Amino acid sequence: MSKCSVKGVAPRGIVCALPANRVENDYFAGRFDEKTIKDVTALTGVSTRYVAAPDQTAGDLCLAAAERLLEDLQWPRESVDALIFVSQTPDQRMPATACILHGRLGLSKNCQAFDVGLGCSGYVYGTWLVAALMAAGVRRVLLLAGDTSSRMINPDDRSTAMLFGDAGSATAFEHDPDAAPAYFDLGTDGSGANFLTVPGGGFRPSDKQDPKADTLHMDGSAVFGFTISTVPKLIKAILVQADLTKDNTDLFALHQANRFILQHIGKKLGLSAEQLPINIDKFGNTSSASIPLLICTDMAKRITAQPMTVLMAGFGVGLSWGAAIFKDVQLQCASVIEI
Amino acid sequence: MQNLYEGLAEILEVPVEQITPEFSLAGHEWDSMAIISCVALIDEVSGHIVSGSELAKCTSVADIQKLVPSLRAE
Repeated sequence: MSKCSVKGVAPRGIVCALPANRVENDYFAGRFDEKTIKDVTALTGVSTRYVAAPDQTAGDLCLAAAERLLEDLQWPRESVDALIFVSQTPDQRMPATACILHGRLGLSKNCQAFDVGLGCSGYVYGTWLVAALMAAGVRRVLLLAGDTSSRMINPDDRSTAMLFGDAGSATAFEHDPDAAPAYFDLGTDGSGANFLTVPGGGFRPSDKQDPKADTLHMDGSAVFGFTISTVPKLIKAILVQADLTKDNTDLFALHQANRFILQHIGKKLGLSAEQLPINIDKFGNTSSASIPLLICTDMAKRITAQPMTVLMAGFGVGLSWGAAIFKDVQLQCASVIEI
Repeated sequence: MQNLYEGLAEILEVPVEQITPEFSLAGHEWDSMAIISCVALIDEVSGHIVSGSELAKCTSVADIQKLVPSLRAE
């Protein structure tokens, strides 16, 4: 059952948190030659990104975002029924970062909390889990999604060193019987698991002699091929499922993987620049936080001023993908903080 | 075919007149950037997704054309 719809799921607000340390492309001069920096910038579109401090985790970023979100929405902490933390860079090996965050936020003991280990598709999967919880009777959920991918990067790998940024996000969902149904279409192709991987750090023994075992390995052309063959079809299918067209969908909030990929998808689907905002130039690929960060930067004013029909699509590491449509979304808050 | 040649000329930064089936990719930075761009180009002109690893093995424009039936030089 990869396609489904759920009634009564209302997004209420989003806050994103960025680390204060902004890194420009000239930081890489000396490590890479000028032509390499120019070529990578042209392909990925990334000019700056934010990098977490050595002692700053994805949990820290999401915590700050959640604190601000609860304050902006004036939600009492005891009213939160569930906390989901989505990340590929959890704070500790155990316990689940969601449990740590539950304690740091001072949530009720009746609040469930669990982690989801997904990256690029993680935010969309998180919204599906929120919907599934609400269908089961849960009323208020915090979805925290963030990554500090910079911790896994080999600084000499030109295909990843200049691409990724760090960020955290917090999104509040509330059960509302009047909310329009939300639509979901999710999928996986584990045969491509090796296209984007960090082999070490888990419990499967890895080559301890290899200093790169704990760093990110990416087969860029394989991931690119997967993306352009999967995502346009995914978007077309969920539009049909939700009885929408590209013209009456206000926002296509796509995972900010790479500017070239996004422009190619936009061209294939015939989307305008206004429908398909791109902010990877300023933040890099922020993994699970990229979709909420896009909404809180390029769309913040519009989505807090008027209802919008939003299609979200996440795709990448796994290989994993998901799309979701929320109709008539008007957020009470959408902002970005730096910590 | 003209669209493919124009796109390849742009990717390889050479005049379009130089692009022929015999054109050698090896002397023109046929690197990961060019290969990813070419995956997108072939999708645009033919609707086919070719694999980057297959493209990486190509040494001439004719090799690229052989990967997609509709692009083959007859």
